[in-house]
Amino acid sequence: MENKRRLFALITPPSVFLLFFFMVPLVIMALYTLKASSFGPLLPFSFTAFENFFSNPSYFVLLLNSSRLALLTAVLSILLAYPVAYYLVFYTGARRVMLLTLLILPAWISYLLRVLAWKVILGSEGLLNQLLIQAGLIQDGAPILLYSQAAVLITLVYVWIPFAALPIFAAMERIDPRLHEAAADLGASPSVTFWRVTFPLTMPGVASAFFFVFIPTLGEWVTPTLVGGVSGIMYGNLIQDQFGRALNWPLGALMSMVLLVLVGVFSYIFNRFIPITEVPVSS
Amino acid sequence: MKLNKIKNVVLLLLAAAVLAACGGSAAAPNTQLIVLEWSGYEEPSYWEPFALQHPEIAPEYSFFGEDAEAFSKAQSGFQFDVVHPCGSWWGLYVEAGLVQPLDVSRLSNFDKLFPTLAEHGQFDGKQYFIPWDWAYESITVRTDLVDEVPDSWADLWDPQYAGQVAIFDSGESTFLTAAYALGYDPYNTTPEQQEAIKQHLIALKPNLLTYWVDYTEINQLLAAGDVAVGANTWNDAWATLADEGYQVEYVNPKEGRISYACGFGISANSTNVDLAYDYINALIDAQSNANMANDFYYGAANMESVPLLDPDLVDVFQFDDPAVLASSNFQHPLTQEQRQMMTTIWNEVKAEQ
Repeated sequence: MENKRRLFALITPPSVFLLFFFMVPLVIMALYTLKASSFGPLLPFSFTAFENFFSNPSYFVLLLNSSRLALLTAVLSILLAYPVAYYLVFYTGARRVMLLTLLILPAWISYLLRVLAWKVILGSEGLLNQLLIQAGLIQDGAPILLYSQAAVLITLVYVWIPFAALPIFAAMERIDPRLHEAAADLGASPSVTFWRVTFPLTMPGVASAFFFVFIPTLGEWVTPTLVGGVSGIMYGNLIQDQFGRALNWPLGALMSMVLLVLVGVFSYIFNRFIPITEVPVSS
Repeated sequence: MKLNKIKNVVLLLLAAAVLAACGGSAAAPNTQLIVLEWSGYEEPSYWEPFALQHPEIAPEYSFFGEDAEAFSKAQSGFQFDVVHPCGSWWGLYVEAGLVQPLDVSRLSNFDKLFPTLAEHGQFDGKQYFIPWDWAYESITVRTDLVDEVPDSWADLWDPQYAGQVAIFDSGESTFLTAAYALGYDPYNTTPEQQEAIKQHLIALKPNLLTYWVDYTEINQLLAAGDVAVGANTWNDAWATLADEGYQVEYVNPKEGRISYACGFGISANSTNVDLAYDYINALIDAQSNANMANDFYYGAANMESVPLLDPDLVDVFQFDDPAVLASSNFQHPLTQEQRQMMTTIWNEVKAEQ
C-alpha cells in the first residue's frame, strides 16, 4: 500500500505534465488538420488540407527522399561511432570518462553554430576549397560541396556521431569482461569473439543509437535551410513553411501527422523484423 | 498556531500582489504604447518628435522577423497599439478587422506624404495604413562574375547562370517573378496560368544554388561569390555591396522592378489611440522618415524627406520620382486565397526533386 502510494506520487507529476504539454497539444494539432484555415472556427470540418496533400505526389517523393537521407545519416553515424565507442570501452582504461567527455564536448556548443561552422568549411572561400586550390587540385573556388544533399548528410553525421556513440558505449560497458576470457579459453579468435560475443551484445545499443539519430533527422529543417540549397531541402522545411510564411496551419498539421505515423511505422518494422537478441548471461 | 501565522502572511502578500496587479492595469490606458515592429526600427531617431512630446513614455516593442509571424500574432489575440506590416498584407488586417480606420486630420504630417503611396493604404475609401518606407525587389548582379548582365526577369532562366542564382524564399515574390517573366498579370491569373507559373519555377531550379531567407544571407552569398545573381533582392543588397567595393549592378528589368511599401496601422482594440496617432505622426516627420530611409537605403513616404536623403541613393533608386511607383510593379494587397495559392505553388515547386 505504502509502495503503491509512493509510486503514485512519483509518476503523477510527469504524467500530468505529459498529458497537458504533450498529449493535449498533439490532439489539438490533429484537430487542426480538419480546419478550413489557420484561424477561425474548427467547425464545420474541412478536408482541404487532405485533398491538397494527397493529390500532390511531390510531397511523398520528398518524404521518401528525406527518409532515405535520415536512414543514411543514422547508418553512417553508427558506423563511425561504433569503433569510437569500442576503443573507449576496451582500450582507454581509467581515461575513458575524460575521453568520453571530450567526445561530447562539441555538443555543448549551440547546434546552430556547429552547422554554421560547416558553411565556413565547405563554402567557396572555405577551408576545404582553400586546401584544394593550394594543392592545385581545383582552379577556382566553386562551392563544390555546400548547398547540396551531400552537405546536409556530412553535417548531420557530424552532429550525430557523439549521440550515436553514447548508447553503444553504454551497451559495451555492460559486457562482462569474463565473457571475452571465456571465448579466448574456448579457442575463439579475436574476430570470432567480436562477431559471436561482443557484437550481438551491443545490438540493443546500436538499435537505440539508430532511433536516436533517425527520428530527429527525419523531421530536420535547420541543417537543410543552412547548407542544403535547392537539392538538399527536406520534408521538415515544408512543414516549417506551412506554419510560417504560408500561414497554412491545417496543411502543416497534416504533414506533421503524416510524419508521426511514418515514424510509428518505421519503429514497428524495426522492432518486428530486426530482432534485438538479448543473449542470456549467467554470472 | 505558528502555521496559521505563516498562512496569514502568505494571504496578505497574495492580496497585496492582486491589488498591485489591479492598480497596474487600471492605470494602463495612455501610459504605454505597444508597437508590433520589425526588429531594427526601434531606433529613437526614427520617432524623436514623439519622445519630445511624451518624454515619460517609452514605446514597448514586440519584434517579428516576417509578415506572416506578425499577422498570426495579431490574429491570435496579441494586444498591440501600432503595427508595421508591408503593403501586400494590409488587406488581410483590414479583412480580419484587426485595424481601425484612421482619422488623417489627426496626423499633421499626412499631407506631406506622396499621394500615390498614401492611396495604397486606403480600403473602401477609408485610410487604414500610413505608408512610411518603400523599396524595390529586383536583381542584384556581381558584374565581375557574369559575362552578360541580365536585363529582364526572364533572363533569370538563361542557362548561362546555371547554379549562380539565389532567389528569395517567398511564395509571393517567386510567383510575381515568374508571372512577369511569362507576361501574365500576377493578380489576375487563370488556373492554367498558375500551372504554367509552377512549371516555369520548377524549370528555374537548375539555375538556383539556393533560396535565401534573410537579407544578411543574400548579401553574404553575393559577397563570397557563391552566387552571381541575387533575385528579388532589396535596395540594401546593392547598396551594402557597392559600399564595400564590389562590382554590382541593381538591374532595372524590362518588365519593371517590383516595388512595395510598408506602413503603420492602429489596432482595432487599442486603448492608447491618442498615443498611437502621435507616434505615427512622429514616424512620418520629414527628418525621422529620412533617418530611417538613409539607414536602410529605402525610400521615404514623406516628400519633404527627399532633400534629406543621400543624393547618390536618390539617383540610383529614383526616390524623388513617385512616378516610378506607378511604372514599377507595385505589390498589391493579397487576399487570403491568393496568398494561399501562391505559397502552395511555391511549396510544390520546392518539394519537386
